[in-house]
Amino acid sequence: MIEFQSVTKKYPSGQTALENIDLKIESGEFVFVVGLSGAGKSTLLRLLTREIIPTSGKILFNNEDIISYKKDKIPLLRRRIGTVFQDFKLLLTRTVFENVAVPLDVLSKGETEIEKEVSLVLEKVGILDKSSSFPVQLAGGEVQRTAIARAIISKPEVLLADEPTGDLDPKNSLAVVGLLEKISKEDKTTVIMATHNSQIVNHFKKRVIVLEKGKIVKDQKEGRYEAG
Amino acid sequence: MKQAKDTLKQIRRSPYQAIAAALAMSLTFFVASIFIILIFGGQLVLLYLEQRPQVIAFFSDETKESRILEIAKEIETTGLSKEIKYVSKEEAYEIYRERFKDDPLLLESVTADFLPAHLEVSAQKVDDIKILTEDFRQREEVESIVAPEDVIGKLANVTRTVRTAGLIFVSVLIAISFLIIIMVVGMRIALRRDEISIMNLVGATRWYIAKPFFIEGALYGIIGASIATFLVYSLLLFYSPQIQNFLGPIQIFPISPLFFLYLWLAQALSAITVGVLGAAIALYRYLRVK
Repeated sequence: MIEFQSVTKKYPSGQTALENIDLKIESGEFVFVVGLSGAGKSTLLRLLTREIIPTSGKILFNNEDIISYKKDKIPLLRRRIGTVFQDFKLLLTRTVFENVAVPLDVLSKGETEIEKEVSLVLEKVGILDKSSSFPVQLAGGEVQRTAIARAIISKPEVLLADEPTGDLDPKNSLAVVGLLEKISKEDKTTVIMATHNSQIVNHFKKRVIVLEKGKIVKDQKEGRYEAG
Repeated sequence: MKQAKDTLKQIRRSPYQAIAAALAMSLTFFVASIFIILIFGGQLVLLYLEQRPQVIAFFSDETKESRILEIAKEIETTGLSKEIKYVSKEEAYEIYRERFKDDPLLLESVTADFLPAHLEVSAQKVDDIKILTEDFRQREEVESIVAPEDVIGKLANVTRTVRTAGLIFVSVLIAISFLIIIMVVGMRIALRRDEISIMNLVGATRWYIAKPFFIEGALYGIIGASIATFLVYSLLLFYSPQIQNFLGPIQIFPISPLFFLYLWLAQALSAITVGVLGAAIALYRYLRVK
């Protein structure tokens, strides 16, 4: 489903974020991409959404080379990939409901449909009662759930999560990743989660890809990660 | 429809910039309307004057009718005249009697012999009046000439000046409106930068992101053109007796409502173009959305 073929990404500053990455992720898989800060985890995810393009190599999504996509095809690619951003990117002046509805607005869905689908997704992630709250009024874990709800509202084939448990306590972290696992199982969504939280990785026993200075140093099914 | 609603919501959130943009558009197109009406009115006055006899040549009493008709033919062959009318002493007297029928004193003191036979000539072009006048002046049979060449020439000059001044003035105002639209839309883009970035990441097309700003620009155009046309219509309606009094026999009222409809349509189209182009430049400048 997703394939990286000899992908290298060098930033204009000269820093090599990823070097010669070869990687295959099958449909419906749950994958942890782990590594220390600066290992290239976020770069890998941003390459998939075409926020950035590689310096060399190919990235295939359902056998299509997304690097050769013209500008007008990129929005269509992004509609097939839901993303939970590291900084969540929630609109502070909009309610939870309005934030989650953004991808459906973009698809020009009708108000009734939006109302129905947003309510369903909010129920799924367990924050239906926070529907009319603003992001600043949310407690730990609820912000992440809002971001996840927005990422899955348009039923994407792939869900990318960039450090979604960054600021959370262990209990909430487990709950959030448990939610991602549930989505992966129920909706057959491919989940790629970038993290450096070894406790979480080791708890869920999923495929683990370890990045170190832009290179894959380990790729294991039901793998483990020992930070540091 | 939803995007139009969102645009209105955005405008309501910071109404002052919107008011400034709409007022700038109104002022621009109000001034444009005034110039259009002045030019249109000037053309009507010119048309009226051009249809009147523009050169009247009075002949001496000794000149025979056959000679006057010969001269009329000679003038006709120059191709400078549109219409030539011979008025004999008797016809001139009839006209005089008709005009002063209520003043017996004036009627008694004048006989047909008093009034000279004359030729009334309308020129093809305003510039021909001078040549025709000169032609008559060189003929010894002609005693005197009445030619309003200066009035028509001056009026034509004034119309040309009004047109040029209007073009320059309106162009400057359009440029100002254009810059205000770029500024206002640019500020809105800056205010919504986070939202735009998120929309971009969740798969919004460039057109989806740009559309509300285009709607906003077009809206300023429509509001501006509508206010301008309404103001001009009201002013003309209010001052129509005074204007008609000033113009005398030149009838321009009532102006057809169709004229105002076309004026509004033309202005709305131009204003929408200004608004949309302004928004496009702001988008290109601040968002790189092409």
